[in-house]
Formats: sequence, structure tokens, C-alpha cells
Amino acid sequence: MLSKLWILAYRDLGRNRRRTILSIVAVALGLGLLILMNGYIAGVMDESVQNNIRLNTGHLQIRADSYTEGELSLAWPDLLRDPEVLAAHAATLPGVRGAAPVLWAGGVIATPNDSLGIQITGIDPTSTIYDPIREALVGGVFLSADDRTGIMIGRRLAEELGLAVGSDVSLTVVDSDGNADEGVFTVRGLFHTGIPSYDQGSVLMPLAKAQAFARTERRASAIMIMLHDNQALVSVSAALRSPDLQLLSWQDMNRLFLETMQTGLAFYYILDGIVMLIVAVIIANTLLMSVFERIREMGILSALGMKGRHLTQMLLLEAACMGLVGIALGLVLGLGGVAYLTYVGITIGDIASVAGDSIALGSTIHGRFVPETFAGLSIATFIFVLLAALYPAWYAARLEPVVALRG
Amino acid sequence: MDAIQINQVTKTYRVGATETHALDHINLTIGEGEFTALVGPSGSGKTTLLQIIGCLDKPDQGTVLIKGQEVTRLSANQRADLRRTSIGFVFQFFALVPVLTAYENVELPLLLSGMKTSERRARVLELLNAVGLEDRAHHRPDQLSGGQQQRVAIARALGPRPVLVLADEPTANLDTANGHQAMEIMQRLNQETGTAFVYATHDPRVIAFARRVVKMEDGKIIDNL
Repeated sequence: MLSKLWILAYRDLGRNRRRTILSIVAVALGLGLLILMNGYIAGVMDESVQNNIRLNTGHLQIRADSYTEGELSLAWPDLLRDPEVLAAHAATLPGVRGAAPVLWAGGVIATPNDSLGIQITGIDPTSTIYDPIREALVGGVFLSADDRTGIMIGRRLAEELGLAVGSDVSLTVVDSDGNADEGVFTVRGLFHTGIPSYDQGSVLMPLAKAQAFARTERRASAIMIMLHDNQALVSVSAALRSPDLQLLSWQDMNRLFLETMQTGLAFYYILDGIVMLIVAVIIANTLLMSVFERIREMGILSALGMKGRHLTQMLLLEAACMGLVGIALGLVLGLGGVAYLTYVGITIGDIASVAGDSIALGSTIHGRFVPETFAGLSIATFIFVLLAALYPAWYAARLEPVVALRG
Repeated sequence: MDAIQINQVTKTYRVGATETHALDHINLTIGEGEFTALVGPSGSGKTTLLQIIGCLDKPDQGTVLIKGQEVTRLSANQRADLRRTSIGFVFQFFALVPVLTAYENVELPLLLSGMKTSERRARVLELLNAVGLEDRAHHRPDQLSGGQQQRVAIARALGPRPVLVLADEPTANLDTANGHQAMEIMQRLNQETGTAFVYATHDPRVIAFARRVVKMEDGKIIDNL
């Protein structure tokens, strides 16, 4: 019986092809838009978090218990005392790709004509965790560990201050004793990570030089740890846990951003709902029109002994047909759009720098394939389409045969 | 046992303050295998009576028995079951499902009855053959003439081997030749199958086919020959 109802439903849809096609297009456009939107948001979130992990936070950080992020404190009690030992231990743990001490200090970079506030980062140039910077080198050379006067800066910062490889600049830092120390450094290399906030506000120098410059002796602000993948986070954290140290995961360090995005997602969920409702209204309208046009036929089917539930099934099958074809087209449209966003992306240029330091957006935003989300959206769209068919189906099912036969 | 037994059936339509007595205390018995014409002018109550016999509508008062079963108190689903198994319909307008072929139209009530595929196929072909349309089996209604469509409707009505077939003005939209042919087919199938036929008409040429004529006027039976 169901097979014949399928045939009836399928052929009924062919009666007014234009209307059916327009309804299918509405489903396709609605779902395509939802997939594109969700792929875009997932891409923005993922890219921002991954950029932050890659350039700023790593997957895991070990800090002294009293260290407060944001203050960039150089007071000795706030720093790690034996960072090399800790880093070496961390590097031996399974799942760890690299671990290195890092020292952060707030400072000012100055040329004869201009000056800017920046963050000085003392890095271990031999560590693999700085591969992203190494790959982003666009001029000069990468730092060497024993370089006592060299620094690396972002190309954006260089352009802003009119600097080039080989230029001398003055750096000022408030050291661990609270005194301002000044030194002249030479730009060895320029990097371009594509993250405007990073390229504009970071000055890198070898860790040993940074420690000497900030008078922290061999202390470091943190051990930055990169993992092979997220699954090792729990085991590595457990292995490094110690009472006088704080362990911060990438989620902890990106909490503000993640919470902001979660709040923002609520808006997108509302938007998702609105788009689905619009699609549902279009489908309901199509089916209701179709029922009104076929009232006498419904009467004939009733006269033949078709029950209300059969009519309901028939209408639901019509909706299912339109929904499935629309969803298939919507998937093609949406996935095509997400593929474009993923592999080509949208260039937003300097807009990303306005987003602030906590959002490490590149100058090109990429989408991301989120199969489970796309599947969920497709299923939700299908359910909405079926729900939309319930009223026309209910209307058809409760038609009195004798009234329906009068048309 | 009689195919149909109607006792004191009354049906009144109300439009605003106006009441129309479509059926006024009708008593009627139709035996098995009868070929009965229900005749009378427009508004005499023929269609309403057919609809009540066919369980498409309910009377305000009175009882209707089909093969001894009282049907006026049945639920909508029970009435649908009864229509599917025991009653065939032929309508004035060629009431075929436009998106189905002649074959599929005849097959539809058999599908609803749950008949097996092989049995169903044989039955459909037998019926299409009986109405002379085996070569039009895969044509849709819009590819058939009015006469052919009505013959498909007759075949469909007989599909589940009903107790009776109700035909409301079956020739009203056909020319004389096609109307005559449709009536001949109905008459022949009545004789071959023993299914009772009750048809409404006011065309004297169609009345002539009947073995029994029931005359109606103003919702009452005025003559029962």
C-alpha cells in the first residue's frame, strides 16, 4: 500500500511542477544557507582557536601558581624557577610534540620617529613549537639561540614603523625590579602569520637575551607545550600536575573567546530556526494549496475506502519527497559553498585586527566542514518539513467524504 | 438476505433558517443482484439517498442495513472499511485519480483491500477486459475519452467484488452512444457477477435498462415498481 501511496504522492507533486520546484528550491536554499552559515561560523571559531594555540598559547601551559595572565608579571615569585628542567620533562611525555620555556614582558619599541607598545616574547629558537613562525618568515633570517642583539618582528609592525631587516630599534622594558631598561636591537627577520594582532604587536627575541634584558635570570613565564593531538591533553596534564604550579589547557586560555562564541552561537541558532520556519511555511502553503485543489479527489479516495490515515500518509509522503529532494540540493549548494570557504576563503583584510588580541583571526577567513552539524541541520530541516505537512494532512484526513465529493 | 434495507430514513439540510428535507421517512429494500433505477427530478433526493446507502453520509433518523449490518452508527474508519469491501461507486463526473493509469485506478481499491499482487494483477486485467479497455490499461485519464473513463470507473467499482454498486447519474456527462455502452456494461456485469446495482437518473433511455424503478419526489418515494 505504501508503495502505491509513494507513487500517488510522487505523481501529485508533478501536477503543478512550477509550485513543487519552487518549494523544493526554498528547502534547498534554506538548508544551503544554514550549512554555509554554520560552516562559516565553525571555521571562524576553529581558525581563531587554532591560531591562538599555534602562536600564543600552545595546547597546555605550565605557570607558577601566582602568575596572572594579562599582567605579564616579571616578579620572580610569579615566574618558573627551573624552566628547562620542566620543559625537558614535558617533552618526554607521550603525545607531546614540543615543549619550551617562554618569557613574556610588556614593552615599547621605538624608532627616531615613532614608538609603539608591544609584547616582548623570549623564545627558544631551536624548539619545534615555533615552526609556525619559522614558516611565516618573509624577510631576513630566523633567530639563533645565542643572538644577543637580534629580534624578529611582524611585517605589519615593520611597515608601520618604517623598519626593514637590519634596522636598529630601541626596546624598553620594565624589568623584574620595576626599573625601566632600554636596549638597542637589530631586526634580523620579518614574519607574516596573517594574524594582524600578532604581526603588529609581537617582538620575538631569544629566551636567554630576554631573560637578561628583563633581569629574570633563568626564569620563565611559562612552559608552552604543543601536543600531537587533543586526546593527550588529559594524560599530559595529569603527568605534569604539581601543587605549586598551575596547568592551563587551551580551553582555559581561550575561555573568554569560547564563551563569547557560544553566546554568539545562540543568535545563529535563532537564525537557523527562523530559516527553517520560513521553509516550513512555504511547504505548508504548497501542500494546503494542493489539498484545496484536490478536495473532490480526496472524496473519491475516501469513497474507495481510503481512511484518514492513508490521506495523512500520502500528504506526508509528498512533503517527504519535496523535503528529500530539497535537502539533497541544499546539501550540494551548502557543501559547495563551504568547500569554497574552506579552500579559498573570504579575504577580510585588516578587519581582523579590529577584533582584538583575544580573537586570532587571519586576514582570510575559512569555513570548515562539520559533518555532524550538517547532518543535524538536514535532519532538522526534514523534521520541520514533515511538521509543516501535518496541518494540510490533518485537514485532508478530517474531510467528510460527502462534503469532499461536492468539491 | 436483502442487499440493502432502509427504514424511516430522514435527512434535513439547514442553510441559515431554511430547512430542506432531502429525505423524508424513506423505506426501501434492495435485493441481492437487483438492477434498480432511482429516478426523479433534480432535488428529489436521489443523490442524498445514494450517499447514505454508500456510507458517505449519515441520516438524521432511521436505519440503513447492508447485508444485515446496521451502518448508521459505524465510526468513520468502520464506514471506510465497509465502502472498501462492500460498496462500489460510479460518479457522474468521471471520478478517476488523474495521476494514475487506468490499470492503477482499478488496482487502487484492491490495494486498499490488501489483495496479493498476483491475484490483484489478474483481477485488474479481468475487469479491464470486461469493460473492453485492456489495450488502454496504461493510459492516464486525460488520454481516455469520457466513455472510456466511465468504463474504467465501472471496472474499479467492481474490483473488490462488492455487494452493491451505486451509480449517481452515470451517463449524464456521456453522449448517447457512450451512455448506452456504459449501461450495457453495467447491466451485463450485474448479470454475470450478481452484484446489485442502484443508479440514479432522470434519462428515460437509461431508466429503460432497469429491472426495477424507484421514483422519488421531494425526498419521498412516490412509486416503487
